[in-house]
Amino acid sequence: MPYHEFECSKVIPERREHAVIKGKGEDLTSCLPKGYLNTIPGTISERGCAYCGAKHVIGTPMKDVIHISHGPVGCTYDTWQTKRYISDNDNFQLKYTFATDVKEKHIVFGAEKLLKQNIIEAFKAFPGTKRMTIYQTCATALIGDDANAIAEEVMEELPDVDIFVCNSPGFGGPSQSGGHHKINIAWINQKVGTLEPEITSDYVINYVGEYNIQGDQEVMLDFFKRMGIQVLSTFTGNGSYDDLRGMHRAHLNVLECARSAEYICDELRDRYGIPRLDIDGFGFKALGDSLRKIGLFFGIEDRAEKIIAEETAKWQPQLDWYKERLKGKRICLWPGGSKLWHWAHAIQEEMGVKVVSVYTKFGHQGDMEKGVSRCGEGALAIDDPNELEGLEALEMLKPHCIFTGKRPGEMAKKVNVPYLNAHAYHNGPWKGFEGWVRFARDIYNAIYSPIHELSLIDISKDEIQSDHSFLTRRMLSDKELPEEIKASTELSEYTGNYDVIAGLRNKTYPEFPRTSANMPKDAA
Amino acid sequence: MAAKHKIKNLAERKYQKVYTSDPLATVSPETREKIGQLENYLMKHCLWQFNSRGWDRRKQNAGILGQTAQLLCDEEVNITSPLDKCYWVDAVMLNRAYRELFPWITEMPKEDVKALMRLLNARLDWTLIDGSLNLELTVVNY
Repeated sequence: MPYHEFECSKVIPERREHAVIKGKGEDLTSCLPKGYLNTIPGTISERGCAYCGAKHVIGTPMKDVIHISHGPVGCTYDTWQTKRYISDNDNFQLKYTFATDVKEKHIVFGAEKLLKQNIIEAFKAFPGTKRMTIYQTCATALIGDDANAIAEEVMEELPDVDIFVCNSPGFGGPSQSGGHHKINIAWINQKVGTLEPEITSDYVINYVGEYNIQGDQEVMLDFFKRMGIQVLSTFTGNGSYDDLRGMHRAHLNVLECARSAEYICDELRDRYGIPRLDIDGFGFKALGDSLRKIGLFFGIEDRAEKIIAEETAKWQPQLDWYKERLKGKRICLWPGGSKLWHWAHAIQEEMGVKVVSVYTKFGHQGDMEKGVSRCGEGALAIDDPNELEGLEALEMLKPHCIFTGKRPGEMAKKVNVPYLNAHAYHNGPWKGFEGWVRFARDIYNAIYSPIHELSLIDISKDEIQSDHSFLTRRMLSDKELPEEIKASTELSEYTGNYDVIAGLRNKTYPEFPRTSANMPKDAA
Repeated sequence: MAAKHKIKNLAERKYQKVYTSDPLATVSPETREKIGQLENYLMKHCLWQFNSRGWDRRKQNAGILGQTAQLLCDEEVNITSPLDKCYWVDAVMLNRAYRELFPWITEMPKEDVKALMRLLNARLDWTLIDGSLNLELTVVNY
């Protein structure tokens, strides 16, 4: 077993099985770190809690809902919507966050009255919003407040409102992933099937596991609309509460982010017979194959091929411009969960970089299986690392860039490793063909920013060169490139706009006549 | 009201080991090389083999690889349910990729292709289910 022991964790022998280095000929029967176990008592972890997973990750990208935390205000602050999951209804869910502000006296005497008062106040303050999600927290779960009963009371008093209760207190699982599970199952138990949606197309999907980071969902929605596909709901980025109540009427569940949302997808398959198709919106090949697969399922593959041809012709030369300049750069791919496998192979193939390490803070072993499979030999895979292990890994691997969250990102900057925000992005969206070029552009900008030339100098004592002026990123990146690449007129830097989302919202789409004969021709 | 849910086929979901060792252990180096190429492609490019539960993976592997074998042998695939249709979609994608990337597979006798795909299925079942180190595969529920 190729376990990797960190020097800094030698005093915690249990940690030894949470990191592996993939060796020659290793496969998943010999090379897989432990994962998604209870955090080892006494060690430091960067994980979020189950409440955070339910509210911050899954619930709050729902756009037309008052999201209220029943607990101390600090819980809400810590899950304030910082992931930039924007919406097309003026970002209601980003502008406001609600909490019942539970204090010590409520812990002693109960906080149910406080909850009811807060719910009614919130609906009065925002009379245009008739939907609410209540998130239980550790404090109010421990004192036994019955949020469901209060929600029922309010719905009787205010018949035009609908409330969803999510019982996922922080202690409800080893990490935020426990909260993902709970909110998925709670939603399908409480809400799916309670509203009949209007069906407008022969081809109807739920888009599951998409959180609209910087507009990712709207980019993908554009492709689906161009194919004449009705997206009944998106679970949950830019998703509407009532649309998500009608998920049971889709013909196909298109799943992007196992395993934060595969539970609802699998339950929809089990309970309603809606099949699940796994897709990927990152990378030209993976995205193209995803559109083809959906096209094949509905018998409209020609529509997918048209989009792929148009987009590839436009964006491939720009992706290749960056690929030429990123070849061989070492990357640490340290997101919280799914992106380690979404990106691991695609960035190596299509951007020429080498992934030297993957990690996950809350991912299951299933996430690591995909990540380890998609990395090459020598890659270090770490489950639930602490800060010292992260630092030690960076010193060992010496990456040119790291894709991670804010906390490890700031740590990496201190050891002169530029970082890209893998959770909220830098200048996304990164999905879609154009988005993939924007991602490459952001990696390029991170690696070749001239700021790194100065960042390790101690200005109080180190010599600062004054015999040359400021270097540009192009001077750094093109230094060793062949002349024909530097002079190429075919390849070019990214030419898109800063805001690529606004234009999509008013776009008109072709109308396809409806037909009931949508079985694929190749099938018998 | 939302549907009340009962798991219909609990017995099928109980973990039953099929392989106790790597089914490639006794095959010839040539066959191993071929299986390695096919396996490597789907590990890098496909996601369907990684469903979170062992019982689900077993069904996926058999469904998709079974249909891929039929398509590689130019046989018609019988689609009777939406789930079959999903298997068929992934099988079509795999059939195309294998034919393009590994032209040797199109030159093999059909019975050999079927045998090779059965071996690939066995190898995946071993790597991803019976021999896997993933501790969550034996969970019955999603």
